[in-house]
Amino acid sequence: MKTVKKLVTNVYFWLTMLFFYAPIIYVVIFSFNESKSLTRFTGFSLQWYKKMFESRSIREAIYYTLIIAIIATVISTIVGTLTAIGLSKSNKVLRAIVLQINDIPMMNPDIVTAIGFMLLFTSLGITKGFGTILLAHISFCIPYVILTVMPRLRQLDDNLAEAALDLGATPVQALTKVIIPQLKGAIISGALIAFTMSFDDFVISFFTSGPKVSNIAIYVYSSIKRINPTINALSTIIVVIVTTVLIIVNVVPMIKDRKLRGVQK
Amino acid sequence: MKKLLVSVLAICLGLSLFGCSGGDGGKTDFDPIAEFGSNELYVFNWGEYIDESNIEAFEKKYNVTVYYKTFDSNEEMYTAIVGGDKYDIIVPSDYMVERLIKENLIQKLDLSLITNIGAIADGLKSPDYDPKHEYSIPYFQGSIGIVYDTTKVTMEELDEKGWDILLDTKYAGQICMYNADRDNFLPALKALGYSVNTNNDEEIQNAYQWLLTQKKTMSPAYVTDEVNDIMINGDKTLAVAYSGAAAYIMSENEDMGYYEPKQGTNIWSDAMCIPASSKNVKLAHAWINFCMEEEVAEKNSIAVGYTSGYQAVMDKLAKTEFDGINAYLPRVGYEKDEEYHDDNVLKTKLAELWNQVMFN
Repeated sequence: MKTVKKLVTNVYFWLTMLFFYAPIIYVVIFSFNESKSLTRFTGFSLQWYKKMFESRSIREAIYYTLIIAIIATVISTIVGTLTAIGLSKSNKVLRAIVLQINDIPMMNPDIVTAIGFMLLFTSLGITKGFGTILLAHISFCIPYVILTVMPRLRQLDDNLAEAALDLGATPVQALTKVIIPQLKGAIISGALIAFTMSFDDFVISFFTSGPKVSNIAIYVYSSIKRINPTINALSTIIVVIVTTVLIIVNVVPMIKDRKLRGVQK
Repeated sequence: MKKLLVSVLAICLGLSLFGCSGGDGGKTDFDPIAEFGSNELYVFNWGEYIDESNIEAFEKKYNVTVYYKTFDSNEEMYTAIVGGDKYDIIVPSDYMVERLIKENLIQKLDLSLITNIGAIADGLKSPDYDPKHEYSIPYFQGSIGIVYDTTKVTMEELDEKGWDILLDTKYAGQICMYNADRDNFLPALKALGYSVNTNNDEEIQNAYQWLLTQKKTMSPAYVTDEVNDIMINGDKTLAVAYSGAAAYIMSENEDMGYYEPKQGTNIWSDAMCIPASSKNVKLAHAWINFCMEEEVAEKNSIAVGYTSGYQAVMDKLAKTEFDGINAYLPRVGYEKDEEYHDDNVLKTKLAELWNQVMFN
């Protein structure tokens, strides 16, 4: 009986893994395809990688995607965290109202937000470009940061900040040395969510970026009609980068931890 | 915390170097400001619709910077233009050119600046949407037809049945229909001898019934771009496809052929236009003229695989790159072939009926 149960669990586990990772593996394999086909593997070749690095549009798209994602993440994380901390200290009614408003952008369909942004920028006479797409990305990232930081704040002991103030810390010191370190985990997950939201956004980017700026999502989406494995090569690079970052994020603290323990011994 | 900030800054710095690299080498001393009054050009084109080396060649030739951006559908492009994005070149399809003219969103061309105007393909000399090329210059063109497995279907049979071969139960389960706006109704409308631009409700209903019958008796696969791989693998016998896709399929699988039924079909073209809001009008004309040059157009057509809008390039590539692929040369001057006209009412009507076909 036990072995059957184990077998079922195992099969279930591996099926789930397959379902999650098969598409990614498929994309990676076909990025090395010799022919243009996306379903028939005819031989190994690096030509799509070569084509990708030769293409200025793709290089620019990668550049803008990363730079926008990084700046939007940094700003929205700072703003979102401070907002959440401020809200936790404000009265209930205000907090309820702000949190409700905070939910709206997340529930709103992207296309509505996108057209809204486009019309706003147009009616204000702002030329669309790097600034507008960045503003749009910051604004749709902030709610996610608030949403992830808020629950952790509720678990915090208010007395700790007060104790810090009593012991002579300035408010800024209390914030940076007492409150924020306790929120670190939530802030990092908020930042990661913000980064991925910004990284793969197509709809809002398309309508707020103007003629000068393009990102990976826009490039890939508009190439779907005449798709070729260059897109796979691009996706493979992204997967490699994301995986590397995740490994670093997870492994470095482990190594540090081990070192620390070593010192204590 | 500081370390984190430093590393973020370092990444940004690295990225900015990455983004700026390349592109500035080999500039000439051509003075674009004196010649065109500007040194930058904003181009808005379909994704994968150009040989990118041509962009750099243009930049070098005129010592200018080209900002090149892509879109995925005419409607998306239209929204961006209406939303105030200022481009100098856009490449809409036929019916969209018609709408843009109606709404004064594109400007008249100065044909004296387009010295290569004679290059336009015979079949595109006077398109319905802009008969005198006052607003637009064709870029790529094509038709819609049937890709068929030559080992299973003969030319005679196709000649005899035309679009109705898609109702022949001999091929039940062996056909692909193209699932896109208006294209989905094309086989039905043409099989019944109607115009693709019909406004007659009875005709539309008949076409709807044709499609319903087809769904029941033929169980077709409703696909879009998957059709390429399906037909290259030879998984189906017959498929409705664009000539551009057909040319690609035929180059990958020798057993496939392309057929344009005698009942007529849709012929389409995408054309270069200058939006009314363009700020670099003269340079935009230079771009259009540049794209019509034989060498440039040839590169584009080879890279994209669609039929060039220019006769000399068509003729040359039909004998070289696309030798033996009849899909590269769409039928010209056949009276039953039609362009789609801009008609939102019809489009909505067909889209609603199509939903009923799909979910019936």
